[in-house]
Amino acid sequence: MAAVDAARLPVAAPSPWWRSRNALVLAVVAGMLLAFFGWRNELLWPASLTWNALSHHLDDFQTWLSNNRNVAHPSVFFRAFNGLADFLDNLVGWLTSLFFKLTWIGTTALGVLVVLRFGGRKAALGTLAAFAAFAAMGLWEPSMRTFALTFAAVALSLAIGLPLGVLAGRSDRFQRAITPLLDAMQIIPAFAYLMPVVILFSVGRGAAVVTTMIYAIPPAIRITALGIRGVPTNTVEAATAFGATRWQTLLKVQLPLARRLLLLSVNQTILFALSMVVIAGLIGGQGLGDVVTSGIYSDPALALIAGGAIVVMAIALDRATEAMAIRTDPTHRHLTESKKRRLRIFTAACAVAIGLAAGLGNAFGAGSSWMRWSAQPWLRRQVQAALDYVQNPDTFVFHITNPVGNFIVKYGLVPLQSFFTEVPWPAMVFGLALIAFLLSGLRPALVTVAMLALVGLVNEWPQGMDTLSQVLVGTLLTMLVGIPLGVWAAESRRAERMMRPVLDVLQTLPQLVYIIPFIYLMPVSLVPGVIAAVLYAAPVVIRLVAAGVREVSPHAVEAAGAFGATRAQVLLKVKIPLARDAIMLGVNQGLIMVLSVVVIAGLVGSGALGYDVAQGLNRGLFGQGVLASLAILALGIALDRVTQGRSRKRLGEMA
Amino acid sequence: MKVRVGGLAVAALVVAVVVVGSAGARANACGTVTLNEQAWAGSTANTYVVKNVLEKSLGCKVNITKVAEVPVYQAMADGKTDAILEDWGHAPQWAQYVTKQKTVVRAGPNGVKGVIGWYIPTYLMKQHPEFKTWKGLKGEESLFKSPESGSQGMFLGGDPSYQQKDQTLIKALKLNLKFVSVGAEPAQVARWTQLYKQKKPVLFYWYDPQYLNATYQVSQIQLPARFKGCLDDEKVGGPPAKFACAYPSYTLLKFMSKKFATSASPAVGVVQRFSWSNADQNAVAKMIAGDHMNPDQAAQKWIAANKAKVNKWLGK
Amino acid sequence: MVAVAETASLGHEIDRSAEPLIRARNVWKVFGRNADKIVGTPEAQLSRSELRAKHDCVAAVRDVSFEVWPREVFVVMGLSGSGKSTLVRTLIRLIEPTAGEIEIAGQDVTSASPTELRQLRRHTSSMVFQHFGLLAHRRVIDNVAFGLEIQGVSKSERLARAEEVLKLVGLEEVGNSFPDQLSGGMQQRVGLARAFAVEPKVMLYDEPFSALDPLIRRDMQDEVIRLQHETGKTMVFITHDLPEALRLGDRIAIMRDGAIVQLGTPEDLVGSPADEYVENFVRDIPRSHVLTLRWIMRDPRPGEEDGPRLDVRTTVRKAVSLIAGSERPVCAVEDDRVVGVCDKEAVLTAIAGESD
Repeated sequence: MAAVDAARLPVAAPSPWWRSRNALVLAVVAGMLLAFFGWRNELLWPASLTWNALSHHLDDFQTWLSNNRNVAHPSVFFRAFNGLADFLDNLVGWLTSLFFKLTWIGTTALGVLVVLRFGGRKAALGTLAAFAAFAAMGLWEPSMRTFALTFAAVALSLAIGLPLGVLAGRSDRFQRAITPLLDAMQIIPAFAYLMPVVILFSVGRGAAVVTTMIYAIPPAIRITALGIRGVPTNTVEAATAFGATRWQTLLKVQLPLARRLLLLSVNQTILFALSMVVIAGLIGGQGLGDVVTSGIYSDPALALIAGGAIVVMAIALDRATEAMAIRTDPTHRHLTESKKRRLRIFTAACAVAIGLAAGLGNAFGAGSSWMRWSAQPWLRRQVQAALDYVQNPDTFVFHITNPVGNFIVKYGLVPLQSFFTEVPWPAMVFGLALIAFLLSGLRPALVTVAMLALVGLVNEWPQGMDTLSQVLVGTLLTMLVGIPLGVWAAESRRAERMMRPVLDVLQTLPQLVYIIPFIYLMPVSLVPGVIAAVLYAAPVVIRLVAAGVREVSPHAVEAAGAFGATRAQVLLKVKIPLARDAIMLGVNQGLIMVLSVVVIAGLVGSGALGYDVAQGLNRGLFGQGVLASLAILALGIALDRVTQGRSRKRLGEMA
Repeated sequence: MKVRVGGLAVAALVVAVVVVGSAGARANACGTVTLNEQAWAGSTANTYVVKNVLEKSLGCKVNITKVAEVPVYQAMADGKTDAILEDWGHAPQWAQYVTKQKTVVRAGPNGVKGVIGWYIPTYLMKQHPEFKTWKGLKGEESLFKSPESGSQGMFLGGDPSYQQKDQTLIKALKLNLKFVSVGAEPAQVARWTQLYKQKKPVLFYWYDPQYLNATYQVSQIQLPARFKGCLDDEKVGGPPAKFACAYPSYTLLKFMSKKFATSASPAVGVVQRFSWSNADQNAVAKMIAGDHMNPDQAAQKWIAANKAKVNKWLGK
Repeated sequence: MVAVAETASLGHEIDRSAEPLIRARNVWKVFGRNADKIVGTPEAQLSRSELRAKHDCVAAVRDVSFEVWPREVFVVMGLSGSGKSTLVRTLIRLIEPTAGEIEIAGQDVTSASPTELRQLRRHTSSMVFQHFGLLAHRRVIDNVAFGLEIQGVSKSERLARAEEVLKLVGLEEVGNSFPDQLSGGMQQRVGLARAFAVEPKVMLYDEPFSALDPLIRRDMQDEVIRLQHETGKTMVFITHDLPEALRLGDRIAIMRDGAIVQLGTPEDLVGSPADEYVENFVRDIPRSHVLTLRWIMRDPRPGEEDGPRLDVRTTVRKAVSLIAGSERPVCAVEDDRVVGVCDKEAVLTAIAGESD
């Protein structure tokens, strides 16, 4: 009997290599290179496609605003903003003077005892250590000012963000409506909206609070919405089934059960607000931000120390709020009546202790700030010594870093920069659109064209292309650093524990602060900015990639192991491919983070759009500042769509 | 009957505050004065010297704001800042706030003469005496090559917040230089001081009064003489040829908010009479930024050694 | 006179001459944007995939009508996707029905105002959920008192009532515990207690035991049976488990693809399944456990009317020993009248038919 001819199953022929997507992208790039060499510098963005007058219109608008603001009887519109600015300023002022009136003893007691009552001993010790650190750094007063400012900003952000988050959690339509607004609020660099804020709210603590709030409200809303949606459906249904009104459901069921995420949103709002401290210092926020921004110019050692104080505050607040959230969770706490009574007594005792401390402090003339011994001179000497070492061109380190930096710039960054800025603009627009299409589909490609057109329209084409080249380099380096480290963190618990504090510091330390050593070690214009971007963006990428790889289905991993795969094979063939979505999200977020460093980078030599925005702010060139910010936003939107579009497209293929 | 614990805590705090509250009041003939300090050391110098004079001699309470050069006019208009002691010439802001709105008033010069220009290290000037004028640069631009400038020479630009016109000036003078900005002043200083320490050539935007001038020897290159209709602000725009002249010499001015100026505070007179020399400012600036002395201490040191000048400001 | 042995059914009388407590008429639920345009048109008759492809809609409940009398346990049974969970939710408008009328205790539910609906939910109906739906941050007793809290009952009163109900379900020891300290079975009993505490007229159960271990499920079924006997509540019970449905239900509605395929007593389903689908379902059920004497009896021949007597509702299984041990055919009795006889042959035929 003839054997069944099963061998003739149709096998799909592999498509030729030159049809693969990567090859096509390379072909496009090759085409752009051709255009570059052939028509270098010949076709820059035409003036006819620029709205030149826009900048002047904006400047005129600013002048008009200013003129109408400062008249004896400003209109209702300005009175409202003035009133709001005054209110915010007074709020911060009141808090600050409260901390001073309590004296440093009273304030310390307040902080430590509140954390002790709600967060436990370990967290309280951490808080005490933080206070001690501020005192030792000789930065007590600025720290208290910053804390007052942050507290006010966070309280208001939560007052606005939590209700809106609840609304977004309950209403799909509302969530769809505000998501693009929240995206914009987080992509637009703060420098960009500093100018309008200063115009409307004048300089001072009020403006600082507003700027911080713009950045801190989105996480409050997003995480709260997530929490509300995470409440088990049956439980919410049960409330409705038993006839609860919407309010009853919200207050008795949804809010209590969303507690964990609500407190996470508080935690994140605090951290986001703190990351604005330095920028707030630029517009009169006072406190530590002030010390950093002015220190950069005349006292880098002190600026670095103040940066450290900001990190200490961020970490202390993070740990304290986390501890308080865990400890007061009623689900795990199981309070009996006697326990409740004891806690009430404890709370009363703490309150009395705080009052006593404040009273005693005043009685003994403790003073509003810790003014006595501090370790600041010693700290300064250490930091200065480090800076001197770094500044000295005769050191061994310099002899390595300097040539490396020069090499990177001369053969890498500058040629790339020339390519981007001098390629004929049709080739650039068409080429980038084509690449976007190949990578992500039609809509992202169209968005790319629109955004590039916007960059040219606002007369920032060469700067925009310059920034784009740097952002791409920054992102590439971030990926090269972040993905391997993320994978490593996923595979090794020890590595993750080692990395965690470093990543925490990098995310909270003001960027201006860790740029300083690089200015000296690699004294070429473009490198410090790129390095700052990598240092800022890599932690996010590492965390996302680690989470993605860790969450890969253990069944798939197990199956691979059962087939005898080595660890490396499992990693390369199973884990990383399955974590592709997380990695793409890492690319997307890494890009956004790199972009957010653009303006700071402009302050240290990256020039281009960042420089234009910084200059716009400092020299009152409203039009230039706004338009350069728009260009940054446009690039952000285009890059965001292109890197997001890929994973969406694959889901579409699977559906 | 539950004792509201939150209320108890607040009550305790209120008690503490009330007990303490009376201790804060202090009689002040002068009241509170808010001075603005700019980022550079020279501004810190003059601000803190005036601050200490006002505090020690008049019993004022002095607050310091740190607002950038241009937004500070808005701050003065709003009464958030009372006075600035060093302005390098912001004609558009003068037109808007002083002339039109009348919310800010002039308070006279502060005695310091500002100079902005193109500078090279003195050791380089000695090696190439032709660099005394800009014409000597022609043909020798490649001496200033850097990794960023490719085949051209590098011109190191100043802090983006400073007034400058070097990009246009380079074009107008037809020099083969590439304008490179390394960012804010600390970055620029880092760059040229490092090249200075390596005894390499560097051409950069610089100015006086600047405390570093006491530590580093730098020489100015002569730019074309000023003519009528010379332009200095690149951002305002205009034909390149009109920029082809040296920076003007700046008489640094003081400004006050209208509110402060019309108040009866004795501090107004002191601010108006305040005046000192470039050398004075550089000396104090060096103590603050170079020797890392606490600004109040540096100010007090100078005040102690210059009682005569201080008395003049106090009107004695 | 032969003693009438225990009856087979749940042992309560349902007075079907009274007004039905729940009345559902032509209830439809279509999900999708064009839902209201589908109902009443021929489009509604399309199959599931066709409807989705053509109108991007899903008809979860199609033209369902039924009635539930007081004290009745009405079971809705079906596989996942049959629409049973959606149906029970439309009864109190947790999901809004696209069309149809629903009446509970004489009140029109479909056209009730929000206030009226809320009142209905508070006082007339209560519900037990598959995943319990308890409040993790509250003690057991507070969870049980939740429905009363919503009603606005004072704290002392509702806690007292909650204590009583906890006794009813045997959980009086754990009143001060928290849900996460209890096993799944105990948590669901808290859910039961909560539902009973508001003294509803109608109780809705949405697959309450599907999330529990099979061993616990039987205990919980016993519990529900006991509670129903004691309190006499009217229940609408959703399940995907046929043995459970047969155990609990006075009448059972089998749903498929949103429509009711057969509605009847357990014997109706097992004895005369309406179509192949139902037949497949009941195939593995031992018929003798469900079928009563009514199904196997024949007309009495003269002289057979004085044999041993059994109630006509006795299941075959329970009757077997008497029939086997008796010389004469056993008489099936209804209301003291002989309505038929059952002999050994009939029993054997019934049992033989089980192994198909």
